[in-house]
Amino acid sequence: MRLPESQVAVLNAASATDERTIAQLAEATDQKPETVTGAVFDLRDEGLVSVTETTEESVELTDEGVEYAGEGLPEVRLYRAALDAGDGDAVPMGQVIGASSLGGPQVDIALSNFARKGYGHIDSGELAPDADADPDADEEAAALAALELGESVDGDVLDQLESRNLVVRHERTIRAVTLTDEGVTALMEGVEAAETVDRLTPEMLTSGEWEDVEFTEYNVEADAPEARGGKKHILRQTADRVKDVLTGMGFAEMEGPHADADFWINDCLFMPQDHPARTHWDRFALDVPPMEDIPEDLIDNVRDAHLNGVGEDGDGYHSPWSEDFARAIALRGHTTSLSMRYLSGHEVGELEPPQRYFSVEKVYRNDTLDPTHLLEFYQIEGWVMAEDLSVRDLMGTFEEFYSHFGITDIQFKPHYNPYTEPSFELFGRHPETGELIEIGNSGMFREEVLRPLGVECDVMAWGLALERLLMLMYGFDDIRDVHGTMCDLDLLRETEVLK
Amino acid sequence: MPVVDVQPDELRRLTGHEDKSDEEFKDDLFALGLEFEGVTDDGAFQLEFGPDRLDRLSVEGVARSLRYQYGDARGVSVPNTNDPDWTFVVDDDVPDERPYVTGAVVRGVDLDDAALDSLIQLQEKLHATMGRKRAKGAIGIHDLTMLKGDVLSENASGNSITYTGIEPDGDTFVALDSNDELTPAEVLEQHATGRKYADLVSEYDRYPAIYDEIGLFSFPPVINGRRTEVSTDSRDLLVELTGTDQWTIDRMCNIICYALAARGATIEDVEVQYETGTVTKPDFEVETKHVSHDRIETVLGVELELDEVIDLFERSGLDANAELGEETVYEVSIPPYRVDVLHPLDLVDDVGRAYGFNDLEPRYPDVGTVGQRHERSRLEDAVRTSLVGLGFEDLLNFHMISEGENYERMDVEVGSEYLGGGEPASITEPYSEDYTMLRTWVLPSLTMVLENNTHRAYPQDLAEIGHVAHRDDDENTRVAEARHVAAVLARHDATYEDAKARLAALCRDFDVELETPATDHPSFIDGRTAAVVIDGEEVGVVGELHPKVIVDHDLELPVAAFEFDLSSLA
Repeated sequence: MRLPESQVAVLNAASATDERTIAQLAEATDQKPETVTGAVFDLRDEGLVSVTETTEESVELTDEGVEYAGEGLPEVRLYRAALDAGDGDAVPMGQVIGASSLGGPQVDIALSNFARKGYGHIDSGELAPDADADPDADEEAAALAALELGESVDGDVLDQLESRNLVVRHERTIRAVTLTDEGVTALMEGVEAAETVDRLTPEMLTSGEWEDVEFTEYNVEADAPEARGGKKHILRQTADRVKDVLTGMGFAEMEGPHADADFWINDCLFMPQDHPARTHWDRFALDVPPMEDIPEDLIDNVRDAHLNGVGEDGDGYHSPWSEDFARAIALRGHTTSLSMRYLSGHEVGELEPPQRYFSVEKVYRNDTLDPTHLLEFYQIEGWVMAEDLSVRDLMGTFEEFYSHFGITDIQFKPHYNPYTEPSFELFGRHPETGELIEIGNSGMFREEVLRPLGVECDVMAWGLALERLLMLMYGFDDIRDVHGTMCDLDLLRETEVLK
Repeated sequence: MPVVDVQPDELRRLTGHEDKSDEEFKDDLFALGLEFEGVTDDGAFQLEFGPDRLDRLSVEGVARSLRYQYGDARGVSVPNTNDPDWTFVVDDDVPDERPYVTGAVVRGVDLDDAALDSLIQLQEKLHATMGRKRAKGAIGIHDLTMLKGDVLSENASGNSITYTGIEPDGDTFVALDSNDELTPAEVLEQHATGRKYADLVSEYDRYPAIYDEIGLFSFPPVINGRRTEVSTDSRDLLVELTGTDQWTIDRMCNIICYALAARGATIEDVEVQYETGTVTKPDFEVETKHVSHDRIETVLGVELELDEVIDLFERSGLDANAELGEETVYEVSIPPYRVDVLHPLDLVDDVGRAYGFNDLEPRYPDVGTVGQRHERSRLEDAVRTSLVGLGFEDLLNFHMISEGENYERMDVEVGSEYLGGGEPASITEPYSEDYTMLRTWVLPSLTMVLENNTHRAYPQDLAEIGHVAHRDDDENTRVAEARHVAAVLARHDATYEDAKARLAALCRDFDVELETPATDHPSFIDGRTAAVVIDGEEVGVVGELHPKVIVDHDLELPVAAFEFDLSSLA
C-alpha cells in the first residue's frame, strides 16, 4: 500500500491498543498538528484508524483577571485602604479611593463588590470597613491565584469570576486515534510512502514522472495573495452605459470645443446677456482674445432675436446686447454649445429632420464644492429634431431613456428655462428607495433659439449631470472620492463594476 | 430661482378660501409650479419657482394665480385708474446712464403689518430679479402726505416732483435708517445701504436725485429719504421707479400696482414729462399676440375643441378671441403684469399648464434615426480598454489645475518647448488658487494622485486619457485642445523599461510604429528619457521621473511614465 508520507507516519505512530491524541501524534511524527489532523481524517476515511472525540474545557484569565491576580481584587484593596485610613472607623470615600490608588472603572467595581462581600458599609459618602471581615479568605481571590498557577477551580466560584469577566472558558475537541484491524493488517502487509511533490514541472510532464507522484495538498480555503488588474473608471463605465442606451435609441454623438465663445455657449441659447448665470461669478472666462470667426449672418440673426424677438408677435429682451460679450471666450457651462453648433449647420453641415444627437461631456460651473458638486462635471445632453414634435413625444423619449436605469413613474413638472418652452423638470421614482428624485431638465427649444440657427422644425432637448445618475444609481455619496486628484485609489480599486 | 415668503393666513384671506388647509395649499401651489421649500420663523411658506412669473413675487400675486386656478377669476382684469394729479418732471440734468422714470399714486391703502411686510418683500424681490440688483430698475415707495408738490405752472392745479441729477456733494438729506444730514457722496461712504449700492452710481458724473418743493427726498437707486418713509399709518403712497430701460420699470411698477389694488387701493395715473413729450403711467396697456389652434394641438399632441381652448386661456388669466378662417387663430390678450410672454409659444405653455401636462399620455416619437458614437470617443474607449488590459487603473482628473502644479512642481517652464510647456489658457478671475488654468498635460494630475495615495498599496499603475489645452491665438477659440494618453508606474523597482514595454504593447494594439530616440525633459532623468515617435512623428515623452519631482510630491519610490497625443493612435 502506498500512502502520502504524512499518513504513513501517523499510521506508524498510532497504536491498536492505546488512544493517541493528535498532539501526541504530532510530537511523535514531528509534523504540524493540522497536518496530522488532515492525515487522520484521510486514514479514517480509508478505514485504517478510528477516531473518538471528547470535549475538554479550559479556563483562561482575562487581562483584567491577570491584573487582579497580581495586584489583588479592587474591593480587597479598597477594604485595606479603608482600614489603614481610619483605623476601623468610617472614612470619607474620596480619601480612601485616593489612598487605594484605584482608578477609572475600578472604583465602581470596588465599591459594588465591597458591599456585596460584606467588607463594610457605604453610607453618606463614607466607607465603614467591617473590622471582622477577612480578605485573606476571599474565595474569588483564592480562585484567581489557583487559576494563575494552572490549577482547577470549583464551578460556583468560576461562574462568579466569569460573570465579573475575569475569566473566559473555552471548549475544545480532543481527538484520540486508535488503529483499526484493517490498519493493523495494512501495517503488517507494509505501507510505503508515496513520493510527493510541491509543483508540477515541465520536466515531469515531458518525462512522464507525473504518473508516479503524489501532489502535496494545499489548504485550498486559505487566502491567496491579492491580485489586482486595472479597470475603467466608474464614471467612465456609467458614461459608457448611457452612451449604449442612447446609441440604441438612435442618437449620434456630438463633439466640440470645451473653450468656446459665449455666442455659442449662451447667446444662441437665447440667454439674455444680463442673465444672472452669465455674470462673472458663474462663468469661467478665459484670458484670451475674443473669437474672430463667427458667421456674420448668424450673429445678426441672434442679435435680432435678443433685441426684437422672433416672428410677427415676438418680443425681444429689454436688455442691451453686446457683440463683444458674445465673442468673449469662456469654458462652456453646458454642452448645449455643441447642440447649437450642430443645429446651426456649421459643425456637420445642414441637418434635415429627423435627427437625434447626444453628448456625455464635461462642463464647467462655478458651483460651491461639496460632496455632490464639483467645478467640473459631465453633462448628459440629448436632442431630437423632427417635424411637429409634441410634449408627448418628449415625455415618451424620456420614459424610455430612464427606464434603462430602472427609474420609472416619470413626472413632468412645468418649469422655466430661457431657451425652452414648454420646459419641464423631470422627476422619477428611485428603483431602491422609492423616493421621487429630480433627474433632469428638459423642454422644446424656443423659436428664438431655432429660427436664428436656420432650423424650421421642432427640437426637444434634455440635460442631466452624469455624476447625479452615478450617485443615484450606484450609491456614491461623495463624488470627490472618485473624480479628481483627491481620489482614493482603494475606493476605485474596490468599486464594483457596472453590469 | 426666486423664493417668496407667503403667510398661509394671508393666502386664505386674499383668495377667499378661508377653509383651505396648509396641506391643500401646498398641493395647489405645486400644481402652479411653486415648490414648498419650508417655513420661516414666523410661519410663512417659503415658495420657490422659476424666474418667469415674477408677478408671483408677493402673496397678492400668488393669491391671484390661485384664484385663476380655482376658477374664482377668469380672463384679463385691469384695475381702474383715476386721472392724474401728480406730474414727474424729468430734468435735463438727469444722468445719461439712468434716464427713465415711471410711477403711480396709490390712494386708500390699508397697510397692516402683514401687508407692509409683503410690500417690502415684493420691492426687494423685484430689485433682485427684474431690477438686476437695482442696476436696471429701482423702486422707491413714499408716504404721499409727507410730500409737498411743486406747483407746475400758474395755470395748472397739479403737483409735481422732479427727477434730476446733482453733483455728488450737491445737496444733503437724511436717508432711511439714519439721523444725519448727508450728501449723496457721504451716503455712499457712510451709510450701510449706501456702501452696498455705491458701485451702481460711483462712475456717474451726476447722481440721480428726486426733489419735491421741500427738497431732496430720494437718491435712486441707492436709498430713500427718511421724511417720506412708509409705515402702517400711511394711507396714500407715491411709487417711483428709475432705471435703464422704460419697459422693465413700467412692468415692475405694474406688478406693484396690481399687488396694492388687490388689497383695495385705488391707482391714480401720473404724468411723466420727458423733454420729448409727456406720457401717462402706469402703463396698463393690454397687449395681444396670435397663436393658431393647430400649433396648440401640435405642441400638446392632443385634439382640442375651440371652446375648450378659450376656457383654458381664461383660466390662465388671459382672454382669447377665436378668428375663424382657413386656419383658426386666437387673438390672445395679455395682462400688463405679465413679463414672461415674449412669443405666442409662451401662451401655448399657459394652455398646457391649465390643461395639466401630466395628464398627457407619453408616446415614443415615431421617427427613425441611426445612432453612433463619435470617432474620437470610440478611439478613446479602445485605448482605455488596452490600458486596462495592461493593468492600469483608469483615472479621471480635473481639467482645471494651478500653474504651480502644472509647471513648477514638474520643473517645466511656461512657454518652453517641452511636452506640457505650452502657454496656459488662464481663467480671468479664478475663484480658487487650485484652479487657475486648463492643464497643458496629464502627468501633473497623475503625479498628484500618487502624492495623495501614498498610504495605499503599491504598485500603483495609473493611466488617464484626458483633455489638455494650451493658449494658441491661431485657433478660432484661441485655445488648442487635445486628448493625451498618460500613464505612471509607481513601484519599488520601476524603470524606463517598464514604461516602454507597456507603451510598445499599446502601439502594437493599434498597429502603429513606435520609435524612442533619446531626448531630454526637465521632469525626467537625463539619459533615461526618450521622445515618443509614432509613425515618424514626435508626439510625446517616456522615461523615469526625475528624483526632484518625485521627492517634491512626497513619494519614496521610483516612477516610470509616458504621455503622448491620443490622435497618433487613430
